[in-house]
Amino acid sequence: MTAGDAPAPAPAAKRRPSFQLIQAGTVLLLLVVLCAVSAARTETFLTWRNLVTNLLTNASYVGIIACGMTFVMVAGGFDLSVGSTTTVCSVMTVLVLQGLADQPPWLAIAAAVVATAAVGSALGAFNGASVAYVGVNPFVTTLSTMLVFRGLALILTEGGQTLSVPLALKETLGQVYWGKVPLFGAAHPVTVPILVFLGVFAVSVFVLRLTRFGHYVYAVGGNENASWLAGINTRLVKATTYGLCGLGCAVAAVIYTGMSNTAQAASYQGLELVVIASVIVGGTPLGGGAGGLFYTLIGLLLLSVIENLLPQFGVEEEYRNIVRGLIILVVVAMDTLVRKRGRR
Amino acid sequence: MTNDQGQTTSVPLLRMEGIVKDFAGVRALEGVDFEVRPGEVHALIGENGAGKSTLMNVLAGRFADYRGRITFAGREARPTTPREALALGIGVIFQDLSVLPNLTVAENLLLGHEPAGRLPGTLNRRSLVTAAQGVLDAAGFDLPAEARVGTLSHARQCLVEIAHALRGDVRLLVFDEPTASLGSEDVERLFEVIRGLKARGIGIVYISHRLAELPRIADRVTVLRDGRVVGTRDVAGTKVSELSHMMLGRRLTEMFPEKRNTPGEVLLRVEHLARRGAFADVSFEVRAGEIVGLAGLVGSGRTEIARAIFGADPARGRVTLAGRPLPRRSPRSAMARGLGMIPESRKRDGTITGLSVAQNIGISVMDRLAGVAGFLPPGRLRANAERMIGRMDVRPPDPGRAIQTLSGGNQQKAMLGRWLCRDPKVLILDEPTQGIDVGTKAQIYRLIMDLAAEGRGILLISSELFELVNLADRLLVVRRGRIVREMTPGGPTDVDVVFAACTEKEPA
Repeated sequence: MTAGDAPAPAPAAKRRPSFQLIQAGTVLLLLVVLCAVSAARTETFLTWRNLVTNLLTNASYVGIIACGMTFVMVAGGFDLSVGSTTTVCSVMTVLVLQGLADQPPWLAIAAAVVATAAVGSALGAFNGASVAYVGVNPFVTTLSTMLVFRGLALILTEGGQTLSVPLALKETLGQVYWGKVPLFGAAHPVTVPILVFLGVFAVSVFVLRLTRFGHYVYAVGGNENASWLAGINTRLVKATTYGLCGLGCAVAAVIYTGMSNTAQAASYQGLELVVIASVIVGGTPLGGGAGGLFYTLIGLLLLSVIENLLPQFGVEEEYRNIVRGLIILVVVAMDTLVRKRGRR
Repeated sequence: MTNDQGQTTSVPLLRMEGIVKDFAGVRALEGVDFEVRPGEVHALIGENGAGKSTLMNVLAGRFADYRGRITFAGREARPTTPREALALGIGVIFQDLSVLPNLTVAENLLLGHEPAGRLPGTLNRRSLVTAAQGVLDAAGFDLPAEARVGTLSHARQCLVEIAHALRGDVRLLVFDEPTASLGSEDVERLFEVIRGLKARGIGIVYISHRLAELPRIADRVTVLRDGRVVGTRDVAGTKVSELSHMMLGRRLTEMFPEKRNTPGEVLLRVEHLARRGAFADVSFEVRAGEIVGLAGLVGSGRTEIARAIFGADPARGRVTLAGRPLPRRSPRSAMARGLGMIPESRKRDGTITGLSVAQNIGISVMDRLAGVAGFLPPGRLRANAERMIGRMDVRPPDPGRAIQTLSGGNQQKAMLGRWLCRDPKVLILDEPTQGIDVGTKAQIYRLIMDLAAEGRGILLISSELFELVNLADRLLVVRRGRIVREMTPGGPTDVDVVFAACTEKEPA
């Protein structure tokens, strides 16, 4: 799947669907089946409140970061530090808000958003510089910065204290980032996080599919050596994907903070695993060069639906991680088996 | 070539008669006769798709459905599995080594046959090394049994593979393009080993497409074309030009169009280019509309010179393009000034897997195609690709197809399209026809001629001497990293002259 082949009338030869398409199809089918089963078995699943206010809103935080992660992974990289990056960003948001507590709310919030975005991009760019310019393996780089950034958050919170959004700003922040927009009438409100996610997703799709940079991201993931010899600044492309991923963490952090009104150094642990799982389950391969945002969206939705169904089907908390883990393994294993057969 | 060391007898070790093999209705081998005597190195040459590998795969027991007779060591044989072939005493060394770099030489040699230790599931390291040393001694190789294979040079890894093949009672050993990835010194070492095997009476089949190697190693040569044997010759007394003719037949004359380019002003000037350990004091010019050929054996430094000019490797010296100094910081800077390069290894350095043909072609001009904020409308990318697909005759003409689904020849046409849509002043072509079928080769030759006729400068590197002789206006012979001679090719006999220049020994 590429931007260039949209209405391609394949002449003569039958074109076989790519492996990514097969996997995405499998996941989509699983998604539909799961939704159908839950809709039939529980009354609560198919309600606006559950689907939109609950499921999709929760999915949108993860989704915003997963958009950035998709850039990183299509370019052949990997980012384990997104949980820690998001933590630093949320601490940053609250610190700026605290500092500007006596300013007009819109100014304080705008300043906090800009500062958080800058911090998120900078942390991402640090990862990018290490991977692309120094050449340290992405896994090692982001495993290290995962610790470093978490430590940074501890220092900023003076040893792990909970920081709170100042009372004067709480209400406005909540309204801006946690408000509900009656898009489909008052009975069917859409939450702001969903709208932000849709915005981030649309921009990401545009950049990855319809810009020069997006093509370069696929090229670098497909064959870095050849891309470099074709005149692409491969290091800059790789570093930029990490910067974008950091920016995604910043956006998610602002929204999270708007909901919880606090920032803690211990938050968002394990977030990186959910984000990476969404990208991989969707069908973007480790190693990059293929996949994309719509694949990530499908993967994200499947994992979110499962997350939503676990309590509804009475799966006790202690069993949930087993279910989560097995589902990721099963989806990727099915894909691997299909690939093997395709090769024969 | 004399056979002073090999006790060549006239009774063949292997005789294959009337071998016929079809692939899904397409005939790959059409009644091939082939024989190898004990202690003989018999080269098997031919263009891509001529049937060399298919014939050897029949011998190695890769197929069950072939027709014809195989006699091995005086007995009728019909290997239908690799195991059966091995049991007969037929070993094959494939181009891509199958040694495991993380294991030691000993572990590699006895993989699957490790001597058991005292406890079940353990292995006895001491007898492992002893047994491996026995294998190495039998093969006559001086290799450290306890060294990790990955730390050895490629040539020595090759020895491990050969020793592995010789573990059983091997009487015939097939080498499938063994020198494809070896440097010149390693090639010499490999030849030593082959001569040693030959002296022990082992029959050797040597598949290659490098004619230049044959006089140094082979006794006889059989030429295949389109699944048939064109002929078998003694290597001594057979000219390279004759072998080229046998491989290509009538096509040789049809493949090369009339020259109609006229060299103009100097476009590329290289002065005293040098890189330690690779090449030294390289100076030459390429004019507008001129095709300059770099001739030389593999490992002579041809590719390294090309990469340095393009900015892919660092080097000292000066390069000017169209009168202005060329910064050689990266391929990107060279490209911005109007230089393009088709790299030697298409798979490693050329095609970008997973991307469409349109993206692969357009990748070099996306900066020009894109508008505000880098917006690149799919239609523009597509139109650019369609223009190049039309000009290069890429088949199938579908810009949306993934590049790796195309044949090697069509991938290469797309690579040419990638550079051509940038409209380069000078184009470096490193082995542009490697691994490409004959029909597509002819098309690429015509394209190269056209590019020169348009006034571009072409620097052509090739191992195929007849290609250089027929395309180039001037030939520079590279030996051990230095340009030792300049020649102006005239007729087809020049292939032999150029060959002599490339292989000449340094005056002591």
